[in-house]
Amino acid sequence: MAMNPRAWVTAIRDALRSMTRSSLMSLASIATVAVSLMVLAAVLLLALNLDFMAASVESEVQVKAYLCAVDDTDPTCNQQELTEDQKKIIVEEVLRIPGVKEVRFVSRDEALSQLNEEFGEHKDILEGLDGENPLRDSLDIQALDVQQVAGIAEAVRKIAGVSTVNYGQDYVNTLMAFTKAIRYGGIGLVLMLIVATVLTISNTIRLSVYARRREVGIMKLVGATDWYIRRPFMMEGILLGVFGALVAMGLTGYGYSKVVVYLTQKIPFWPVVRPEQVLMNQTLGLVVLGAVLGAVGSLISLRRFLKV
Amino acid sequence: MIQFVNVAKTYPNAHSPSLNGINLSIGRGEFVFVVGPSGAGKSTLMKLLYREELPSTGKVLLDGKDISRLRDSDVPYLRRQLGVIFQDFKLLPERTVFENVAFALECTDVSRREILRRVPASLELVGLRHKTHSRASELSGGEQQRVAVARAIVRNPVLVVADEPTGNLDPENSWAIMKLLTDINKMGATVVVATHAKNIVNDMKKRVVAIERGRVARDEERGTYGYES
Ligand SMILES: Nc1ncnc2c1ncn2[C@@H]1O[C@H](COP(=O)(O)OP(=O)(O)OP(=O)(O)O)[C@@H](O)[C@H]1O
Ligand SMILES: [Mg+2]
Repeated sequence: MAMNPRAWVTAIRDALRSMTRSSLMSLASIATVAVSLMVLAAVLLLALNLDFMAASVESEVQVKAYLCAVDDTDPTCNQQELTEDQKKIIVEEVLRIPGVKEVRFVSRDEALSQLNEEFGEHKDILEGLDGENPLRDSLDIQALDVQQVAGIAEAVRKIAGVSTVNYGQDYVNTLMAFTKAIRYGGIGLVLMLIVATVLTISNTIRLSVYARRREVGIMKLVGATDWYIRRPFMMEGILLGVFGALVAMGLTGYGYSKVVVYLTQKIPFWPVVRPEQVLMNQTLGLVVLGAVLGAVGSLISLRRFLKV
Repeated sequence: MIQFVNVAKTYPNAHSPSLNGINLSIGRGEFVFVVGPSGAGKSTLMKLLYREELPSTGKVLLDGKDISRLRDSDVPYLRRQLGVIFQDFKLLPERTVFENVAFALECTDVSRREILRRVPASLELVGLRHKTHSRASELSGGEQQRVAVARAIVRNPVLVVADEPTGNLDPENSWAIMKLLTDINKMGATVVVATHAKNIVNDMKKRVVAIERGRVARDEERGTYGYES
């Protein structure tokens, strides 16, 4: 498919001509490509964000232990307020666990003012509490290294007076499982949509070949090579794919920016991937993918309907 | 230059052969009329020449090479040495005269400069220079066929194959086209014309090959049409 610049121009011109001639089919193809690639982009963005969340949780080698309180229904608690002495004993017991680097007692009042700070300008959310403090006293336990976190959490959980224990790995595991599900489900869905896309494009090109069969016949008679004849049809498929990809990325980019703005407003410390970090690469990737799908779609059609 | 050696052609699903036992030799620079009743096999003979069809048995030699053995991918390069002309012109109606002729060159990656040189020369030869930028659909039948002739010769073909080129034209235009074909022949191209144009064949006194029921029934230098039309 040796191509001088003029041949490119001719092929693109013919492709655009053909697309405007069968504008409805072309629009349908572009829409199909756009929908498929939008779903793909959404899956990718979701997976990226879950990874990002996992990474930000994983970086904390901290175990959080909540202490029992009067209203705690946890069976290990006997629904009594812990005395200062009892709290001290718990801290000492934690310190005896191998691998613990340090323990910090965080009172419920301290926790509330911390939360106030984190919410920043959104602290009006907390005003609904009417001065009540729903939080618990807790212990921030630092491990010497990440490997020991799970063991430490297990040991802390057994101490009397400790209600619940959380640590990063818990979230990480759940997130990982979730990410995996999204990935596989997403890949399956995307594959199906890709097949549909290729078929739609191939059908569009078939109609396009049919509309230009006379011209194709004449081309053959005057000695055009197969590739010369296929060129504008390939170009048409590729352009359909690229246009679809651009529409998809336009909509995805707009939508994602809105979601990010919304999320960061509502939940200030939610870890999200910033749009500008990913959209450029994704657009490039999807445009290439769109072009490939278009080329494959037209090739399928040309093999079957353009016996040259 | 052209040799048919024991050529038979039976179309798929046809019960009898359209051509059978054809042995025919045409020299370089000859002008040959192919005549015969409708359905005799004239068009089939022509199709074998530009390799639209393959012979069922036998060989079709062009300059000693068996074109029925050509790989599909080499067929375009064979056709670039030929000019083909049809009864129905086979022009692209919504394109201009220039574009229609240039088409044959563009398809084969000839440079723009070469196209700008050759197309006007070719149109000059068929007397349509003044229609260069008219749309093909706006031309009369005779003019359209002259565009087709211009397209056929724009690459200086060694062989021009015309299947009933005057079938849709009035006598005057028919004569003009035949005159063009003899001009092309004088410039060196071998010309093979299948036709029902009795008067023209009789007047021109060229070699006449008559096909009847798929066989060569007659082959005469300075021959005549020989059928009532
Ligand atoms: N594609 C085809 N498939 C099957 N049979 C065909 C095909 N083309 C031609 N034939 C048959 O072959 C025979 C010869 O046809 P051909 O077109 O060569 O005749 P012709 O001499 O050109 O006739 P005309 O003067 O009417 O153009 C006819 O009987 C025709 O029905
Ligand atoms: Mg015929």
